[in-house]
Amino acid sequence: MAREGIAHVFASFNNIIITITDMTGAETIARCSGGMVTKSAKDEGSPYTAMKVAQVVAEAALEKGITKINVKVRGQGGNKTGTPGKGAQAAIRALVRAGLKIGKIEDVTPIPHDGCRKKGGRRGRRV
Amino acid sequence: MIRYIKIPMERVAVLIGHKGETKRSIEEKTKIKIDVDSKQGEVTINDMDATDDPLLIFKVENIVRAIGRGFNPTQAMTLLDDEMDFYIFDIHDYVGKKQTHVRRLKGRVIGKNGKTKRLLEELTDSYISIYGHTISIIANVIDIDIVKKAVDKLLTGSKHATVYRFVETSMKKIRLEHGF
Repeated sequence: MAREGIAHVFASFNNIIITITDMTGAETIARCSGGMVTKSAKDEGSPYTAMKVAQVVAEAALEKGITKINVKVRGQGGNKTGTPGKGAQAAIRALVRAGLKIGKIEDVTPIPHDGCRKKGGRRGRRV
Repeated sequence: MIRYIKIPMERVAVLIGHKGETKRSIEEKTKIKIDVDSKQGEVTINDMDATDDPLLIFKVENIVRAIGRGFNPTQAMTLLDDEMDFYIFDIHDYVGKKQTHVRRLKGRVIGKNGKTKRLLEELTDSYISIYGHTISIIANVIDIDIVKKAVDKLLTGSKHATVYRFVETSMKKIRLEHGF
């Protein structure tokens, strides 16, 4: 019984959230985020945390019979920086190492069709 | 998966290289196809769903973007390493679009005769490129946080001495933590 699933990987610069669902995406099977595996807030976005998050999720998924997953990575998106952070790469690598088979990888970062104004105002970011 | 990136026209030549040398070497090393539209500066990266390492396409994307942001190909190729990370600062996020302001901030990061940039690069083993209205960094995953903070401090107006001190102390701390 090889069940398939989707791993939604959201990797921003400050955090990482991985949710594994079934193929429809409606039924959550496993979920973990940076804050659940690390204590200090500054480490939540680091590649090492991403690896741990992926391990936790992969373990839970394997236990429930999911062996093959498609991956949807997502960065911050919108009018913020587009590319997924370094955590995404570390996480996917850890998913593979944990024994899940990876099918397709897809980038689902939301891209604005020239939507909202970037934050910061006319005179830019001031501290 | 197919990715599209736009790079400045004058960097297209660097990406392709002398008689296609650079582009070919990237393609050979990664087995990913790169298409360059040299009229528009549009780059198409296609991994043809046949690579063993599904993450390579992200790396190639970063390499192309790095070359587009003013790095030379040898520096950009270090991104093939797992440990290396890439980040782009947009100066427009800090001071808006006024040319004089952008020039002033670029000058702050470069320093007199390139002193600030050189010091940052040497202290953190990173590469920094200042091109147009962007500042891009290639550095180790661990060190990049420090470089990012340092550049951010310079862009928001900290004194240079403060930034140097910050980089030196935090580099020492990191070296201790990771046992060098």
